[in-house]
Amino acid sequence: MKNTMIGGALRRSARAAAVAACVAGSAMPAAAANESLALQPGSEYLMVANYPNNLNVVDVATASVYKTCTLPDAFGPGLTQISPDRRTAYILNNRFGTIYGIELDSCKVTFRAEMSLADNERAKSIASFTISADGKELYAVQNPTTINRDHYRVGEPRFVVYDSSAGLDARPVRTFPAPRQSTIMQAAPDGTLYLAGQNLYEVDVKTGEMKVKLPIRDWNRSTHAPLDVLYIWPVQTPQRDFTILYTTAEYQDDKQDMETAEFQYGYLNVNLLTGEAEAREFGPLTEIYFTGLRSPKDRNIIYGLLHRLTKYDIAEGKLLQAVELEHTYYTLLTNHDGSRLYLTGTFNDIAIYDADSLTKLGNVQLPGGDMSLGTGQVFVR
Amino acid sequence: MKIKKIAAAMSGVVAVGLALASSPAVAAASAEALLRAKCLACHTETDAGFSRIADQRKSPEGWLMSIARMQIVHGLKITDEERRAVVKHLADTQGLAPSETEGSRYALERRLNTMEAFESEQFTQMCARCHSGARVLLQRRPASEWEHLVHFHLGQYPTAEFQAFGRDRDWLGIALKEVVPDLAGKLPLESEAWKAWQARAPQAVDGEWSLSGHMTGRGGFSGVMKVSAGKAQDLHALSFEGRWDDGKPMAGKGQALIYTGYEWRADLVVDGTPMRQVFALEDGVLRGRMFLRDHDEVGADVVASLQRDGNARVLAVHPAYLKAGDEGELRIVGSKLEGEVGLPQGVSLLETVRRSASEVVLRVRAEAAARGVHPVTVGAASGGSLAVYERIGELKVLPAYAVARIGGNGTPTAKVEARFDAEAWDAGPDGQPGTSDDFRIGVVPARWSVEPFDEVAVRDEDVKFAGLMDEASGVFVPGGAGPNPLRRMSANNVGNLKVVAEVQQGGTPVRGEGQLIVAPQRWNNPPIP
Ligand code: HEC
Ligand code: HEC
Repeated sequence: MKNTMIGGALRRSARAAAVAACVAGSAMPAAAANESLALQPGSEYLMVANYPNNLNVVDVATASVYKTCTLPDAFGPGLTQISPDRRTAYILNNRFGTIYGIELDSCKVTFRAEMSLADNERAKSIASFTISADGKELYAVQNPTTINRDHYRVGEPRFVVYDSSAGLDARPVRTFPAPRQSTIMQAAPDGTLYLAGQNLYEVDVKTGEMKVKLPIRDWNRSTHAPLDVLYIWPVQTPQRDFTILYTTAEYQDDKQDMETAEFQYGYLNVNLLTGEAEAREFGPLTEIYFTGLRSPKDRNIIYGLLHRLTKYDIAEGKLLQAVELEHTYYTLLTNHDGSRLYLTGTFNDIAIYDADSLTKLGNVQLPGGDMSLGTGQVFVR
Repeated sequence: MKIKKIAAAMSGVVAVGLALASSPAVAAASAEALLRAKCLACHTETDAGFSRIADQRKSPEGWLMSIARMQIVHGLKITDEERRAVVKHLADTQGLAPSETEGSRYALERRLNTMEAFESEQFTQMCARCHSGARVLLQRRPASEWEHLVHFHLGQYPTAEFQAFGRDRDWLGIALKEVVPDLAGKLPLESEAWKAWQARAPQAVDGEWSLSGHMTGRGGFSGVMKVSAGKAQDLHALSFEGRWDDGKPMAGKGQALIYTGYEWRADLVVDGTPMRQVFALEDGVLRGRMFLRDHDEVGADVVASLQRDGNARVLAVHPAYLKAGDEGELRIVGSKLEGEVGLPQGVSLLETVRRSASEVVLRVRAEAAARGVHPVTVGAASGGSLAVYERIGELKVLPAYAVARIGGNGTPTAKVEARFDAEAWDAGPDGQPGTSDDFRIGVVPARWSVEPFDEVAVRDEDVKFAGLMDEASGVFVPGGAGPNPLRRMSANNVGNLKVVAEVQQGGTPVRGEGQLIVAPQRWNNPPIP
């Protein structure tokens, strides 16, 4: 029943997906003329990748494209992480098969790690990588398959650690087993890594030991249906909240009847600065969001985004405001003081909204096509 | 991502074609040689035959899809003609017995509106959410091969375990530990049915077939299909002459290839339009679906029987209903229609208009007392029935749930229309619809319209944008593809509609309702859905 309802809501989103597909067809090659333009210390930037092979850096102050780097190989998913020194963009691309480090000042590829570690292996990372808080190590979960001559064999997923200075043929320096179905991760300043998947794990990157920080599949609540989590957008928020949305349903009573249960949105959150973790519902499920974002200004506010941009009061569990959009956007980003929201993903325009009033302030048009499922980041150089 | 690319390429592999050039004995020998030449680059020769290949049985379309994947994913180089020969050979020697396809033929017949329902929720969620469950049920393998298939799935589509019904469970663990043994038990490589089928004598095909059909949105038809030996083994020439129930003539010509001794696949041109027949041949009867080659949503249920001794059958009565107290013309269609016509009590013969071994045309009158569904026979031929009704108590829209797809408008994908029949029921002597004395009258003309299905459809004005329903025929043509700036959020012309059929019964309307989803284009259209 739960799935029927979510499926129903998603049916509408098929419209948007079809629309997006048309736009991708009109992709133009990136303008390479500004590749050597250095970023300005102190300036705030938004980086985001789009088809066919662009990594754009947008100047937040002027709301315009500052430069565009050309990415090697095939596109997809274009998921980025910014290094702690704000000089290198790491990007998972090449159809989930390669992680690149791009020096933003020069657009040079300085790091490259193939997820596949053998000739007859095909390994993919499903949005599962990040950079350590000191910038020295890069983490990923890889899902390998051995391609034999006449059959495939799916292998055990592995948690791998790279030295971020390993250059263009980086190989893992440490390898540990990882749970299947691992997705996004974020690293805390104390060196702990948090990895989402069957549960939200706390990972010791030295030993590979994983402990459940917040249960997802293992969260057995008699009052609620199991969580459903589809969240592949590892946004590095200014306040260092690692936030993941989930859906669930609250039963009316101990009969646990899905027919009468109330569908709800919730979030899992780890504050990377303190290690504090929480999981809670914040409002009724009335529409689907791809991403959510907690306000850097007010911890009691969370935003949701897909067909609409919405704003919730967490303590009250109440929808405060919702605005209609010109088209769907997938990934919600914010600037550092939390005054602006940047709507990215799907098409090739970024929409800028005032974070308090949810009024639209403008658009940034990107050269090229669809931003697809990629995750951009906002950072101050 | 990747899944889309492969699936889109697979769409080009339209259907099982006809192996035209090969001559009988050469075909088998050269197919063996082809397998050797083409497949051994990656597969190995074992005692049982070629690795992987020897351990599977499937439909012709199933073999076509596997080999097409060898081309699209693995880089096998093979010409269309060579591929046809290989598919024919594998389907003949490693096919399915007719009984093994029972219940799943809708997938071969391209009835893409079929709503599947399986007893096992696990099977539905694990294996029938990306493609039809029929795609699975139309294969036979040992456990090792079902296991290889699971590894192929997750290796090729790594996101499978992250999607809905994947991420909520240990997808791979369940697939290997529970689904594989289950499938190996239910769908094993070796079966008595297949052994018996391989030992059977070849079936007669050449001769005259009497044929009866019904095309949704157009009506019934019948005629004679002549089949004669073609230029190669299992290849047959066919010509069809008949007419629609409204009197319009209908004629076609083409060729059929028989796979596995019974899987009839014909390409023909009917009144200028390319059509395809997917039939199963058993005991002098062909049964299946005939549809437009380029619009497979437009199709007819067909049954045919061979004119030969011992094959006396009534296939259908056109029309299969008559109102009590009315006079009308009935056309009984079948084979070996010799001897006395057996009409129900209370149905009196007024005149025999004409008769032959394949068709008996009568004028009859039905009395009120004859209300009900009764068998109609001609000599030894039985199988037909006539419904004598008093009034239409209930109207059902068929299919109750259908999907049309936007298309055209400068895009490469054609619109997929939806077609409906209005099936009338008599409420029976108690006058209460929905009770056990109700009986089916048949497909009747109705007045068709669409309405918004729910509040979202009202808000988004789906009736205005999603397409047009033809009032007389029940044929719905969806809107053009692409974003529509006139719609909310520039959505494309999708919609959720209620389909309404209405007939008048003595001044009161009787209504039937169904649901129609107008969906985006299909980005993939493989031979087996
Ligand atoms: C270039 C290498 C290559 C060639 C040539 C090749 N195959 Fe394959 N085949 C594979 C691989 C790899 C697999 C396992 C992955 C898969 O199922 O697609 C496979 C699997 C199969 C399977 C099992 C599919 C399933 O659903 O489990 C069949 C059947 C098959 N091949 C038939 C053939 C036939 C018939 C030919 C020759 C006409 C052929 N292959 C040629 C590489 C090849
Ligand atoms: C994530 C979507 C997905 C799921 C879940 C899925 N399939 Fe498939 N399956 C596919 C696709 C895509 C193909 C087509 C591969 C090709 O290109 O030939 C396929 C092909 C097949 C084939 C035809 C293979 C051949 O060459 O003969 C069979 C049989 C099959 N699947 C069985 C299963 C079974 C059994 C399960 C459950 C364990 C399952 N599928 C679950 C996507 C899926």
